[in-house]
Amino acid sequence: MSAETLFSIRNLTVEYQTRAGAVKAADDVNFDIRRGEILGLVGESGCGKSTLGKALMRLHRIPARIAGGELWFDGRDLMTLSENEMRAVRGAEIGMVFQDPMTSLNPVQRIIDHLTETVHAHEPKTSDEEARARANVLAEKLGIRAERLKDYPHQMSGGMRQRVMISLALALRAKLVIADEPTTSLDVIVEAKFLDLLRELRQEFGLTILIITHNIGVVAEVADRVAVMYAARLVEIGGVKEIFADPKHPYTQGLLHSVPNIQLDGAELYKMEGIPPNLLYPPSGCRFHPRCPFAMEICGVEEPTFEAVGNDHFAECWLYHQASQVEVEK
Amino acid sequence: MSSTEGSNTPTKRETEGWQNDLQRVGLVRRLLMARKWYGVDWWFVAISAVMVLAFIFIAFFPGLLAPYEPDQIVGTSFLHPGKYPDVPVLVVRTESTVETLLDLATPEGEDRPSVGVVQGGTEATAVREHSQELDDQLIQDGNGLRLRPRIERYDDVQELLNAVNDGTILAAVVNSNEFNQVKSDYPDLRSGDSILGETASAGGFIMGTNEIGQDVFSRLLWGTRIALIVGFSSSIISLLLGLPLGLLAGYFGGAFDRLLSLVMDSLYAFPGLILAIAITSVLGPSIYNVIVAIAVLYIPTYYRIVRGQTLTVKEEVYIEAAKSIGARRWEILWRYIYPNVIPSVAIIFSVNVADAILTSAGLSFLGLGLPPTMADWGIDLARGQRFIQTAWWLITYPGIAIMLIVLAFTMMGEGLMEIYNPKLRER
Amino acid sequence: MTPIAFILLIIGVPLVLMLLYVFIRGSMGLRRYILTRIGLTLPMIFILASLVFFIMRILPGDPVRSALGPRGTAEQAENMRRTLGLDQPLIVQYGNFLIDIITLDFGTSMVGGHRPIIDEMSERFPATLELIIPSSILALAIGIIGGSLAASKRRKFPDYSLRVYSVIIYSLPIFWFGLMLQLLFGIQWKLLPVAGRIDPVIRTSLQPVTNLYLIDSLISGNWPAFWSGVQHLILPTITLGLVLSGVFVRMTRINVIETLQADYIAAARARGIRERVVVYGHALKNAMIPVITLIGLQVAILLAGAVLTETIFNWPGMGGYLVQRISSRDYTAVQSVIAMFALLVALISLAVDLVYSLLDPRVRY
Repeated sequence: MSAETLFSIRNLTVEYQTRAGAVKAADDVNFDIRRGEILGLVGESGCGKSTLGKALMRLHRIPARIAGGELWFDGRDLMTLSENEMRAVRGAEIGMVFQDPMTSLNPVQRIIDHLTETVHAHEPKTSDEEARARANVLAEKLGIRAERLKDYPHQMSGGMRQRVMISLALALRAKLVIADEPTTSLDVIVEAKFLDLLRELRQEFGLTILIITHNIGVVAEVADRVAVMYAARLVEIGGVKEIFADPKHPYTQGLLHSVPNIQLDGAELYKMEGIPPNLLYPPSGCRFHPRCPFAMEICGVEEPTFEAVGNDHFAECWLYHQASQVEVEK
Repeated sequence: MSSTEGSNTPTKRETEGWQNDLQRVGLVRRLLMARKWYGVDWWFVAISAVMVLAFIFIAFFPGLLAPYEPDQIVGTSFLHPGKYPDVPVLVVRTESTVETLLDLATPEGEDRPSVGVVQGGTEATAVREHSQELDDQLIQDGNGLRLRPRIERYDDVQELLNAVNDGTILAAVVNSNEFNQVKSDYPDLRSGDSILGETASAGGFIMGTNEIGQDVFSRLLWGTRIALIVGFSSSIISLLLGLPLGLLAGYFGGAFDRLLSLVMDSLYAFPGLILAIAITSVLGPSIYNVIVAIAVLYIPTYYRIVRGQTLTVKEEVYIEAAKSIGARRWEILWRYIYPNVIPSVAIIFSVNVADAILTSAGLSFLGLGLPPTMADWGIDLARGQRFIQTAWWLITYPGIAIMLIVLAFTMMGEGLMEIYNPKLRER
Repeated sequence: MTPIAFILLIIGVPLVLMLLYVFIRGSMGLRRYILTRIGLTLPMIFILASLVFFIMRILPGDPVRSALGPRGTAEQAENMRRTLGLDQPLIVQYGNFLIDIITLDFGTSMVGGHRPIIDEMSERFPATLELIIPSSILALAIGIIGGSLAASKRRKFPDYSLRVYSVIIYSLPIFWFGLMLQLLFGIQWKLLPVAGRIDPVIRTSLQPVTNLYLIDSLISGNWPAFWSGVQHLILPTITLGLVLSGVFVRMTRINVIETLQADYIAAARARGIRERVVVYGHALKNAMIPVITLIGLQVAILLAGAVLTETIFNWPGMGGYLVQRISSRDYTAVQSVIAMFALLVALISLAVDLVYSLLDPRVRY
């Protein structure tokens, strides 16, 4: 693992136990998060990205469980840590920003107490004043006025609450922040401010951010690289500009096509054929093949492997496999 | 390039496949699958269901298991559990035809029969008194038969029974318990009926007898009937009144809702038992009054829960959707809201029956509920309370019975709630 | 000053002071809430009083006849009816009844003594109080600790055993449980007394100030009295407290489970907060808020249980008084006691709601 890579996820499989059997929310997922980058993880609702985000911090609860894989964070495999050691990692080295800031804050606890409690949980020797001082500094950096810190969550606006969430994630200088649908509950203007904030933080603190969202616009706005998930598998990963300019995986192509473009007049709204698959009985071979306009015979039979399709750009698709390329050309 | 049509079909068929499979699987299979999923809660419900069914069965056919009628006086009072009644019985040689004292009657003038007793016991008096009675009867009948047995006293049971064995005397009168203890030593002897005319219980009274000689075990079994009748009747009445009121108040709201809710909340906050005490004290002890009093107590519970559920469901988007396609209010109430309310109602019903039985027992215990002649556990407890020092079994067994039946229904409600309440599920 | 007045002062004055403080310092929302809630109490009392009236006067059954017994003459019946005001038209009776309740004028008992009922009640009220308070504390302690333990270790042994415990103990008829305890500890093993509040000999040495024996004996340093009082209190408290704890365990468990599924709990875990702090600090604090309201409603069960417990242990409280008066067919007293209960319930319910409003900052601000 190079010094450049902060988090290396290898062969991660996360399963849900349901009444009807085991469902894989993430199936043998492999990718890296590099230091100082903003990586976007996109996919439809229900493709498994939220579960993945939680699993990266081993925050998932029954009935979800990690069925296999390694989580190499900063030189250590998180899978080998005890619960106590993992607890020390959470909040201090990896922080999380949740989707709905209203429900993510304890309604009967003041904001300042949220912050000082987090500090105390990891550095119990810190005095109360010191903890409060740190909280104040942090809040200021994030544009929260000091006197607001005494408020309760319901007294703040949505955007302010989301900033509180970030400050909580940064309270101990976490190296990685995982943001799970952070802007979904915000309106567009607040969202824009929020994304600006993320960029600033990356600049100032050297923060690494994994942003999980179904909103491609957000990714385009803020991310350096993007990873695309479909049906519990990672299907494409690469630089944002590259992927947006020339998406390789048919799913990504369809995804980008379906974003309405105000400049094309007279064009119909594009929609992909078919519906997302049932993860209990996923399609054989490539999971996208029933909906893929380019599906070949092999697609229904064998799962494709990751192929290099450009500079630091990979896609999991038979189209780009050497042998099948020959076939297509034929 | 293969067509999209062809590659869509396999997925579709697969999807249909597993859904059909799940439906085709029978009820039994689904119950067993549920067991794996719900774990302990499944067992909670299953065990309690078995218990409830057992109780219902007993309530329908108490005669099958109960050796006696609940009001029947079958033995001496205050018999300890398991003890045979201590009755004096005739002991004769196995081949003898003598069954009762009457069989010892002889015609006037003939030898008087000899009956042996142990020195110093009460049997002598018993024999004499009883023979006197029978003798007077015989004189009246005028058959020329008389019963004036000669009473021979022996020092102890062994001597007495030996005398019967070798024919010195015709019969002996011994305490049934005493005889049972030494029975094995005298294979040629058998015991007849109690000379007092009562039937000696074949198996003893496994839970003893109460202060007037009734069999506790039989009363226990028969008591199931009253308990379940009171429990179910009052719960059904509460349900029939509380459910519609809750639905209407929740759905239509307005002043009607506010007023009714105020009344129901006040009622709900008031101690149920005390209200029931008030009602029954005025109306008087009768099973109908008890049922009515308890029914009144639980109407607010149904009302509140149903109204709460209705309010929640009312806000769901599919109600709005239904309205937008022109569904009428009654339809919405009946088709959408009512089915959502049913699982909660079933749970409340279960707990309600349990509570009703407890309250009814409490009322009877205080002397306010059922008429004291009924075979009810609460009444038995009230009666037995006076003898707590000497006859502990009078209160122990009925109490356990109440506990078990209440437990059965409560467990069922608890278990069902774990399974159905979406807020308690983890997915 | 009568004991009942003394107790009301001790409880009432701090309560009113706290209320005033909150009212003045609190926000608009809180003030509105407090006023509304106090305002609702009156209709509640009114409704309950009407209910009692309805039951006692309108339902079929002739109290006068029953009180006098078969030997009462028609003239006696007439007299009694007149004194009780039963010959007036119903509306007038209803009005008088309401006025009586508000002025706490409950008349005199019909049977045996003709003492003012308010006096009899104030003598017995402290006894009931002395039983109820320790029992609730016991029930709450077991309930809250047990419930949160069960919720935090869900689907593991503590959870299942606590659920079994709560279900079994809820199913025990309280009077039977009390009798069993009497049998074991009082009769079989002769460890604890089974009747009364205090040894009657020792009682003579006690100066009744508040009529709460434990407090009175502490005030005057009368250790034998204190000890005797405690001994007599143990079995009834265990009876009432344990049976009630079943309900509390269930309620707390469900509320904590629900709370634990909230997002802010997951968020707290994501910040690395210890599980114990998450459950007891965050989840419990939030879960307690609805539990407090529910506890207020459980006062009903508490009072009902007290009636039965007092009967078994010969505890001279309001509950025992009620049952006694019913067997003597003293309907005036019965009516008054029930009306008093109604009043109590309304006031306690009010108090609980007000406490709730203080705890939940969402109502405060």
